[in-house]
Amino acid sequence: MAGRAQIPTKSSALIAMIADEFGVVLLCWDTVTGFLLAGVGNVDLRRKTNYLIVDSKTTVKAIEDAFKEFTTKEDIAIVLISQYVANMIRFLVDSYNKPIPAILEIPSKDHPYDPAHDSVLSRVKNLFSAESVASGRR
Amino acid sequence: MMEDQEEKGNAENGIGRQKQVKDEYLLQFLDSLDGYLTLLDSLSSTLSQGWLELASARHAMGASRINGALLDLKVHAAATSLKVSEQDVDSMESQPCFTLCKWASSDNGERSSGEEKSLSPQLRHRNNSQLSGIISSPVSFSHFFNFFLSCEEEKVSTRTGTPLILVDQQQRQKSLSVFGVLVSPKLRSAQLSFERALETLVEIANLHTTMLSMFEQVHKELENTNG
Repeated sequence: MAGRAQIPTKSSALIAMIADEFGVVLLCWDTVTGFLLAGVGNVDLRRKTNYLIVDSKTTVKAIEDAFKEFTTKEDIAIVLISQYVANMIRFLVDSYNKPIPAILEIPSKDHPYDPAHDSVLSRVKNLFSAESVASGRR
Repeated sequence: MMEDQEEKGNAENGIGRQKQVKDEYLLQFLDSLDGYLTLLDSLSSTLSQGWLELASARHAMGASRINGALLDLKVHAAATSLKVSEQDVDSMESQPCFTLCKWASSDNGERSSGEEKSLSPQLRHRNNSQLSGIISSPVSFSHFFNFFLSCEEEKVSTRTGTPLILVDQQQRQKSLSVFGVLVSPKLRSAQLSFERALETLVEIANLHTTMLSMFEQVHKELENTNG
């Protein structure tokens, strides 16, 4: 059918993770470690992992590069990103509009989830606030 | 005059149907939005529990036994993966549907689904014959533990009558073995908590795509109304 967006189907896709673990050593790794315990960790033949642990030494450029890499890889279906880390590359996250991989912002141990910063919810809020302003003018 | 009234009636019916469609899109969007926020709240609770259990395990086992240096950097495939299928929303649009495949076995070089598989009678028979062998031999503690877990899995599914989910206990144990042979029960609990978090995340992902799809529809309708 003309104009119908094609969704690539996959029988075995990966979950990628970009999680923040700021703070001292005892507080590090928890989110990524937990999900690795659940079996989502993948290391390919080039010894590249499907996760990035963000610490105090990780630059914004490195986070951006990891985000771009995970969102362009064909074998990744969902990218989990701590909302705190997503705020560092907010422009990149908000401008992403492909259905796959899906970008999910998750809370981290030190930074609880804030709906006001979620990229989808803020888009919805902007739409409805613009609509209420427009209807007010009418 | 009769024709004018008929035309007016048809126009009113058309407007009514349009309004009904718009309301339907809006309701579906709001419904998915509500589900999304509820699931995120549930995810936060599950993750909090997982973090607490991980911290308890670290306290019990020591920080040297649970740290990032132990993460497995050898080449290995993910034991838990996703299946992406296409779901038709309408004739012009489709959206992805995610299904979690937990602990898919990769022993034969092929990945099996690991989800919604029923235990065959052959497997049940094998479990019964193994039972007497393990009790008589005092050696394999871990084998007995794995066997016990798989028996419990079978019991639960038989009792509920729901489709059985085949969980690869060896993969789960392998994931834990990164932190040593004997691990704290809290670490096992943390593993289960994060597994539950993964299930919630897949539900969130599906609602996320539905929400985005409905949002686009509502946005289009609003633009048409304003235009």
